[in-house]
Amino acid sequence: MSIEVTNVTKKYGDFHALDDVSVSLPTGQLTALLGPSGGGKSTLLRIIAGLDTADSGTVAIEGTNATKLPPQKRNVGFVFQHYAVFKHMTVAKNVAFGLEIRKTPKAEVKRRVGELLELVHLSQFADRLPSQLSGGQRQRMALARALAVEPTVLLLDEPFGALDAKVRKELREWLRRLHDEVHVTTVFVTHDQEEAMEVADEIVVINQGRVEQVGSPDELYDEPANDFVMGFLGEVTRLGPVRLRPHDVDVSVEPGRAGSFPGRITRLLRVGFEVRLQVELDPEVASGAEPVSVVLPRSHARGLDLELGSRVWLTAAVGAVTVPAMVAV
Amino acid sequence: MTWFSLLVLIPLTAIVATSAERGWSGYVDTITNDQTMAAIQLTVGQAALVTGVNIVMGTLIAWVLVRDRFFGKRILDVVIDIPFALPTIVAGLVLLGLYGNNSPIGLDWAYTDRAVMLALAFVTLPFIVRTVQPVLEELDHDVEEAAASLGASRLTIFRRIILPSLVPAITAGAALSFARAIAEYGSLVLLSGNKPFSTEVVSVRVLSFIENGSTASAAAVASLMLAVALVVIVVLDVIQRRVSRRG
Ligand SMILES: Nc1ncnc2c1ncn2[C@@H]1O[C@H](COP(=O)(O)OP(=O)(O)O)[C@@H](O)[C@H]1O
Ligand SMILES: [Mg+2]
Repeated sequence: MSIEVTNVTKKYGDFHALDDVSVSLPTGQLTALLGPSGGGKSTLLRIIAGLDTADSGTVAIEGTNATKLPPQKRNVGFVFQHYAVFKHMTVAKNVAFGLEIRKTPKAEVKRRVGELLELVHLSQFADRLPSQLSGGQRQRMALARALAVEPTVLLLDEPFGALDAKVRKELREWLRRLHDEVHVTTVFVTHDQEEAMEVADEIVVINQGRVEQVGSPDELYDEPANDFVMGFLGEVTRLGPVRLRPHDVDVSVEPGRAGSFPGRITRLLRVGFEVRLQVELDPEVASGAEPVSVVLPRSHARGLDLELGSRVWLTAAVGAVTVPAMVAV
Repeated sequence: MTWFSLLVLIPLTAIVATSAERGWSGYVDTITNDQTMAAIQLTVGQAALVTGVNIVMGTLIAWVLVRDRFFGKRILDVVIDIPFALPTIVAGLVLLGLYGNNSPIGLDWAYTDRAVMLALAFVTLPFIVRTVQPVLEELDHDVEEAAASLGASRLTIFRRIILPSLVPAITAGAALSFARAIAEYGSLVLLSGNKPFSTEVVSVRVLSFIENGSTASAAAVASLMLAVALVVIVVLDVIQRRVSRRG
């Protein structure tokens, strides 16, 4: 295990930012810390890096107990949401910083910086100041700077959070490819479930200072440990006693199937290749319940001849992921 | 531009013109007069010394005000401005009371060149504190953390990351502090005693020229001080560019 966090608790006043958190992250993987804002993701990442200290619990990096080590001694690369560039240094100088501190010979520094700038596609910007770069370029520079010291682990706190949607998408794909090339153990924080699902080998879901679930994107999506994880990783809707994903609701235009819920289509929306329905269940089966959301492929909807106001019967699809709905209010 | 000309350029030109009234040799005579030279040396020397002290102390005080937490910090923050707020002659009286013949703290520095330095230090202290403080407050904490996780010690972080960001503010404050110091009058006349060749500063010398009706001499000295101030400001600017580009 590359990073071993054991029973870490961090309080601000009476408030538990982290409450007895334990996770172990294997070497060489790309892990996402995913969860809603304020859940404690940054706090955990900063404690791993030594930028904050835990009230109790331990952190080990590559088998060394790092709990009491200052950030300088942890050999961790950290990338901040707002880039944290050294404004008065050129791009090349920024990247060289960690190496110069380690008294690396000049020629060696030059060679490494050249390689790294190549890696992050910034070679032609070596002599510019960070203020002359776009946000995405600055973040790539920050990444090269962190990688320069060959860190044992690379930690990124919402690295694409300050970028616009298009650049964010490009950079997350690029990060994935970079990781496949460099293989350094990487942990990145995000509140965007799509970003986590797309990029990470493993996802740690954190909410209210606790770990809700750890698993691969597929595991989390298909076997959510609880209502929270299910809700956070994708859309959910409620059908009778269970909660499930809208695309796991089967629609039929005739009654007959055991346990089906009759209702009427109150909204119908075509979005690209899929059709989104809202179905209001008959009062005798579910009085006062929210309408059920259903997503089905367009061809399927056409086959059933669905229209606004059609009567339909809903069932949970075979093999659908369901969790018991919380007690209705 | 008109406003600037009215306020600055025209009076400056007038001084230079007046100083030229008695021709080049008159000019040189005035300047190289022993008593004048002594006053110029004292003023420029003490101003440079005080500015140097301010660079260190002012930065330190700004640092403490921004980064440290201690009892009475808010009060110190207000106290710093007192030399600004005090009419300079009142400052002179305060200093005379504290460091004069009847000094309650046993430091009788009246009529020595220490008195000059003390008065200058007192009135120029706020300049660097007040230019550096806001810059320090605005510094991005992430940047220091990034440097720390790259292995930089606290000293290295200060030297390579924080200081270069402060240099423009420090030099701006230093220029203000120097300019004020070479022109200071009110706060030091009382304590320094204005002894020719020992504690007489340029502004006092200029005043006595004027009292004797020799406006041209006064203007000659004034224009020389103007040149000194300009040179210092340019030099500081060059230093600032060098240092903040180096990284
Ligand atoms: N320095 C601090 N002082 C007080 N509360 C803090 C501090 N840092 C974080 N918190 C609180 O701890 C909680 C977790 O914060 P954080 O780890 O930044 O969450 P996330 O990164 O998941 O959005 C938040 O409620 C936040 O307000
Ligand atoms: Mg955060």
